[in-house]
Parts: sequence; structure tokens; C-alpha cells
Amino acid sequence: MSFDLQKILESKRALRRNLAARPVAEKLRMLDALRERELAIRGRAVHSDSSGLREEPVPYRTKPA
Amino acid sequence: MDIKEVIAVINQMQADGVIERYAIGGAVGATFYLEPVATLDVDIFVAFRSEPGSLLLSPQPIFDYLEARGGTMEGEYIVLSGWPVQFLPPTSLLVEEALGQAVEKDVAGTPTRVFTAEHLAAIALQTGRAKDKARLLQFVEAGALAAPRFQAILARHALVDAWQKFERQFLSDAP
Repeated sequence: MSFDLQKILESKRALRRNLAARPVAEKLRMLDALRERELAIRGRAVHSDSSGLREEPVPYRTKPA
Repeated sequence: MDIKEVIAVINQMQADGVIERYAIGGAVGATFYLEPVATLDVDIFVAFRSEPGSLLLSPQPIFDYLEARGGTMEGEYIVLSGWPVQFLPPTSLLVEEALGQAVEKDVAGTPTRVFTAEHLAAIALQTGRAKDKARLLQFVEAGALAAPRFQAILARHALVDAWQKFERQFLSDAP
């Protein structure tokens, strides 16, 4: 464990490389788990319409004008 | 909740002749090349068949087929194995090309088709939302793009200027 920022960033990059290199089936199982977590978090979140910036969800299949 | 089951159902739908060909795009498609990033849905691009006597392309046969096999409609999505799945037609030349050039992948014995990394990156550039730019950065940082192929796609689809702007914004060391 270190508080050296460069080491921390490098270890994050290494983790991402390691995750990207895993078998696709394993990565898809991770997506399953991530979605379950995200739904659980969203279910607990308190929503407010008045605060925060929000990007409108334009479907990415459409060509920007 | 199991994406592999979703893929198996779509493969069966293709084998049964409901769709001609399909390819996975979006965040799930990107996961074939990058580390997984949370997403709430699965984007499946398909070449829709026109219904007999109609010039309009319709997703209705897909919905009918999947509902008969336990899928449930939720707005524009159909939920399969716990995942909202959206079936999308190729509405731009870039996406049409991506569908045509999608590559075969194997998910632990289950075959599927996925957009190439270069097409996923080009579509992200074209779409241009914050999360698309983040995904494009992921592709670049991971070294997942074949530069000649990516540049050729950018040139074919008039995205060179957009790419140069993206490079200046995110890939330049200069302030």
C-alpha cells in the first residue's frame, strides 16, 4: 500500500488491463453482476429533479444534426 | 440475469429465420475488447425483414417471437433473462457498415457477432455524448484500435474533423 499517486495510477491501469484481458464469458458475467448492483443502488437513491446537471439520453444510433 | 442466455435466444431466433443477421453494439459490444463497464441494457443491431405486403421494416416479428418464448415488453425494450434488450436498425451508413463487417466471437461455446472495435469507436465518436467519449478514450488507452482501419472508417464517414477535435480535447498534452 502506498500513497504515491503515480504508483496508484499505474496499479489502476494494470487492473484495467487485467480485466480487459479476461475471457469474454467472464467479462459478460461481470456485466451481469454490475447491472444487478447498479439497479440496487438506483433503487435506494433519492432522486431530485432540481439539482445537478443532466445529459439528455439521445439514442446513439441517431446521427447528430 | 445472464447475457449469455440472451445471446443464445437471439441465435435461435436467427436460426429460425426471424432475423437475417445481427451484431452486438454498445457497452456490451465494447466489453468484448475492453474491461467491463456497467450498463443497463443490451443493444442488438439487426437487419429487419419487411413484412409481406409492406415496404415498412418492422420489429414486430421479433417481439412476437420473443414474447412467445417468455420475453416481456417494457417500452422500447424486450426483457430477456433479466436484461432489457433493444433491437435497433442500422440508421446511418456507419452503423450499416458496422453491421455488415461485424465479427464472429465465441462466448464459452456460444457463437455471436459483435461490431469491430474500430466501428464501436467510430460510432462513439459520431454519437458524441459524454459516455461515448469516455468509451472512445477507453479504446484508445487500451490500444484496442487498429489505426489504419480506424482512420479509414473515419475518412469514409466524414469523421476526420470530429476525431481531430477529440484528439485536441482529450489526447493532447498541451493545455
